[in-house]
Amino acid sequence: MIQLERVKKVFPNTAVPAVDELSFTVEQGNVCVFVGPSGCGKTTIIRMINRLVEPTSGSIFIDGENILQVDSDRLRRRIGYVIQQVGLLPHRTIEQNVGLVPRLLNWPEDRIARRVAELLEMVGLDPAEAAQKYPYQLSGGQMQRAGVARALAADPPIMLMDEPFGAVDPILRGRLQDEFLRLQREVQKTICFVTHDINEALKMGDYIVVLNAGKLVQKGTPMELLSSPANDFVKALIGDDRGVKLLDLTRAESLVADGSIKSPAVKDCSCFIDALQPVKMALEQMMKHDTDSVGIRRGDEVIGALTWAEIKKHIHRISGDEG
Amino acid sequence: MNFGLDRFIEAMLYRSPPYILEHVQLVLIPLGIAAAIAFPAGVLLTRPRFRRYTGRVMSVFNAGQTIPPLAVIALFFPFLGLGYRPALIALTLYALLPIARNTLAGLAGVPFEVKEAARGMGMTGWQVLTQVEVPLSLPVVISGLKTSAVLTAGTAALAALVGGKGMGAVIFAGINFFRVELILAGTLYIGIMALCLDRLLSFFESRITPSHMK
Ligand SMILES: Nc1ncnc2c1ncn2[C@@H]1O[C@H](COP(=O)(O)OP(=O)(O)OP(=O)(O)O)[C@@H](O)[C@H]1O
Ligand SMILES: [Mg+2]
Repeated sequence: MIQLERVKKVFPNTAVPAVDELSFTVEQGNVCVFVGPSGCGKTTIIRMINRLVEPTSGSIFIDGENILQVDSDRLRRRIGYVIQQVGLLPHRTIEQNVGLVPRLLNWPEDRIARRVAELLEMVGLDPAEAAQKYPYQLSGGQMQRAGVARALAADPPIMLMDEPFGAVDPILRGRLQDEFLRLQREVQKTICFVTHDINEALKMGDYIVVLNAGKLVQKGTPMELLSSPANDFVKALIGDDRGVKLLDLTRAESLVADGSIKSPAVKDCSCFIDALQPVKMALEQMMKHDTDSVGIRRGDEVIGALTWAEIKKHIHRISGDEG
Repeated sequence: MNFGLDRFIEAMLYRSPPYILEHVQLVLIPLGIAAAIAFPAGVLLTRPRFRRYTGRVMSVFNAGQTIPPLAVIALFFPFLGLGYRPALIALTLYALLPIARNTLAGLAGVPFEVKEAARGMGMTGWQVLTQVEVPLSLPVVISGLKTSAVLTAGTAALAALVGGKGMGAVIFAGINFFRVELILAGTLYIGIMALCLDRLLSFFESRITPSHMK
């Protein structure tokens, strides 16, 4: 668990605080995404949590312990840190870079070797090929993935990830995000994740903290942000397709009313989607098959149908006048 | 002054060689002491506690570089008098500057994000210094060492002026007795020594730098 209490950072010789009286809590096992425009203080927050920057005022607690009470080097070894500019050591091979923290923790060499291979594989780098290379021999996206592997190496309970997938192509990024979420469901780390891509934030976050000019603008689940944005800044950040994004986060089953199995729409259905798929998929199917209703299946069993009118009604209900 | 080949050969083979070892000492000892002072000084000046002095020290170093070598020896003459040891001290002072300057430049050239990452992974300040900053700045430091070595090899000739021995004795004998062959032979040996030192350090440098960072 990470707690910030009225944390403020004013860098020397600057007029405005980079982070201003920020308070929030990231619960154990949650992914908290920080999102906001460039220069709003995201990196500074991350760096304060692992004591690379000391707050001007306020305090930070990890698992209830004030981080100022902990030896900073020891603290950092149990916090995985993916830095925004990657920062691989140029004179060390990828294997040495990824094995850095385990070596600091005096793991036996064979365990380090196994761990490095496993991690490189996980981030989509071929261990046989990449391990002995130097950072300059990798592309930007490959370096970034090596940086993610390095942060994960010692299996830290807390991860600070500063735009970890910023330099990889959209397809690979999607894959890495999925892999990340799959892994996170297993290992339940406490994660601070920085991005300025709102779609990534909505996809990855249990909670999202929206920041502007060092101040907290809104904190909430992706659903809360989409259904009730606090102000115009958040609305602008989310974009004009708020309704569609909402439907992307809404599972089809949640809109299937109890009685709808008996509704006449079910019989007319020419296409079906799974109950766990987002409502957006239902829209996609409607467009593709030029129809107004889509059947919802759970496994092999049809449990109901969604109609265009119902979806419209849902959007109006959840987001007020828009949609 | 006229040039005689046999006298030149004599100077090369018999007159100069006895001074080689002396001259090498006059170069290596100041260089070693200078490196032992300037390198740690450069490291200290890049640590957070002392960083605010870096600018001032740098400008002193830069100013020091503009003083001609002869002036350095002349300036210290009143305090140190004549002889071998004063010559060593003067040469040491002169050799300090390029090494300190390049140490500062080398350490300053280590990318911020690399140091940040190393610290962020939980390396101690000492580990970051010895495992990251020093290895990455070593090529620049060694190039400063090379500058110092070549500079000192030449400047050490002046040591003979204050009774400090070395190849300068051959050259100044040549000047005093109008013997161009001696001047030429002494100069040649100094040039060869400077070149050898430069090569030696380059070799050392290439041994410790990963291939892509040369
Ligand atoms: N070491 C520093 N000294 C002075 N000012 C700094 C320092 N680090 C950051 N700042 C300032 O603090 C503010 C917040 O910077 P920060 O790096 O946290 O932004 P960010 O949200 O991570 O931006 P980006 O999305 O571009 O990475 C900026 O105005 C920046 O100029
Ligand atoms: Mg940033």
